[in-house]
Amino acid sequence: MDCFLSVVYCNGFRQWTTDNGQRSVDFITFLQLIISGLAMGAIYALVALGFVLIYNAVGIVNFAQGEFIMIPAFFGITALVTWYLPVPVAYSLVLAAMVVFGLVFELIAYYPLRNRPFLPVVISTIGASILLKNLAQNIWGAIPLRFPGLFETGTLNLGGLRIGLQHLLILGVTLILLILQYLLFEKTLLGKKMQATAQDKQTARLMGIPINKMIALTFIYSALLGGVAALLVAPILNVTKDMGGPIALKAFSSSIIGGFGSIPGAILGGLFVGVIEAIAGKYYSAYTDGVAFFVLIAVLLFRPQGIFGERIAEKA
Amino acid sequence: MKFILIFLILAFAIVAPLIWTTDYWHHLMVLAAIYAIVALGLNFTLGLTGQLSLAQAAFWGIGAYTSALLTVRHELSFWIGLPAAAAVSALFGILLGFPSFKLSGHYLAMTTIGFGIIVRLVLQNETDLTGGADGIAGIPAPTLLGFDIDDNRKFYYFALGFLILLSIVALRVQHSRAGRAFQAIRENEMAASATGVNINRYKLIAFMFSALYAGIAGSLYAHSAGYISPDTFSFDQSVIFLVMLVLGGSGSVYGTLLGAILITFLPEWLRFLKSYYMAVYGAGVLLMMIFLPTGMWGLLEMIHERIIGKPVEVIPPLDRPGEPRKAELSVGAKK
Repeated sequence: MDCFLSVVYCNGFRQWTTDNGQRSVDFITFLQLIISGLAMGAIYALVALGFVLIYNAVGIVNFAQGEFIMIPAFFGITALVTWYLPVPVAYSLVLAAMVVFGLVFELIAYYPLRNRPFLPVVISTIGASILLKNLAQNIWGAIPLRFPGLFETGTLNLGGLRIGLQHLLILGVTLILLILQYLLFEKTLLGKKMQATAQDKQTARLMGIPINKMIALTFIYSALLGGVAALLVAPILNVTKDMGGPIALKAFSSSIIGGFGSIPGAILGGLFVGVIEAIAGKYYSAYTDGVAFFVLIAVLLFRPQGIFGERIAEKA
Repeated sequence: MKFILIFLILAFAIVAPLIWTTDYWHHLMVLAAIYAIVALGLNFTLGLTGQLSLAQAAFWGIGAYTSALLTVRHELSFWIGLPAAAAVSALFGILLGFPSFKLSGHYLAMTTIGFGIIVRLVLQNETDLTGGADGIAGIPAPTLLGFDIDDNRKFYYFALGFLILLSIVALRVQHSRAGRAFQAIRENEMAASATGVNINRYKLIAFMFSALYAGIAGSLYAHSAGYISPDTFSFDQSVIFLVMLVLGGSGSVYGTLLGAILITFLPEWLRFLKSYYMAVYGAGVLLMMIFLPTGMWGLLEMIHERIIGKPVEVIPPLDRPGEPRKAELSVGAKK
């Protein structure tokens, strides 16, 4: 495993340090890899945030988190392709639908089990995941669908450095969303109530915070994050019922790599996994999907608190 | 009473292929027996020791590939392939047991998921060793005392024999010193350690047993299907094994068997729903978790308790409702 990672690194760096003639070109390739990696990493970060917020609020890992991406991607296809709505209307409609979806999900898969231990709740989210995947297949069919993007394959050319516009959009929107989220959690009463609920339910209840409402809001926000991630990433992936699973698993490992339960950890972990995966994918493509897990196992064995565990010990 | 019940169930298991006579149903019965063995393995780690492992399909796959490669490429007998599959799988089980020293709850779950995904990628990409995405075809049927076990009905009885044997072993282990040590670790690691249970050693033993069972089942699967490919041994399959265990009744051998059989046949019973049957299956899993927190076996036990007035067998619940979540499950990585 170690040698696998070092091979990736060695190849990655050797190509643009040793060969002088090729140097500039390969350095640009490398930069492009980093940028597309960061874009994919931003998606992992958004989904990882969805995991972490639910985990902090109710102490369970939601195994249907992947369906929080798959469902809005299909919603988007219905709104954009079937109903032929203009982009702003379609996107707003998808996000509004995700608010309802998050609430319904909480009411069915979590609320009846709220006083149960960890495992039955995990299994209930697995049941919900099977249900959603197969409902989606019945409604939208089994053939992979294409999600119309805003920019098709447009790229920005910066002196030989080509950056996909969709990648830039992903990075920009994620940044704005993270700033909004920071403001929500740190500067508004609602955000503080949600944080208090995550920290200590009993005390929060004693302070007069309606904790069940806060938990429902957390699920809704997590579903919204999934909705945004889906609208951003669906144009560069095929939309199928199984599209969410791998993203969710990698996002989950990212959150552990970053330091589980920590919001900055989820973001940094997601970006880190995205970049490592992009670099490894270039030089060792058969194992691209395993990279996140090699890193995860290495991190868990040698630094179980996560790479960024110490600096961000405070639980948000 | 208990013995009459077991006798009746055994009799039913033996007569079943004569009632449902099509080859397809025999195939399902073979699968049910094989899944039950894998789920029994998972019962050692999750049910008894409380270690959430989601790599069971990977161990199953390691067993299947070991046995298939030995019999197809090296033309060895099934009777060498089977123990080899069990041994190789158990070795990987011990290997995966080591992270459980330091990790628990979600962290351990994610490590085992990662292990499972990496195993599947290796099966898919190391074409020279495993045949890659094409898989391995032409896996020979086993022979027993000169008889070829070459159709699903014969294979069902063959697999049933293994299942009965392994169920007895599982029951014996559960009530042995090791079984009590497993359960002590599940209930409270610190208290178990204070009473002299060597935690790490028993965790390794639990992981070894779980992989050993999966390895045997993998070998049986390879030789009954005749063809294996990496897709079968996916993370989704590990999840299905987990669902079998928890729906049946985690921690109980009988509950595990019940869960495995139920989950194997449930999609068949739902076929009349046409394309919606898998969706209803998912909804069913969700509803059962809401209404049957202790699994099917817990329900049967409760009914039995109501009628007879005493429990059939003392099965510690998975986690008691109302109690705070286990600290290890929410804290995660330990020092």
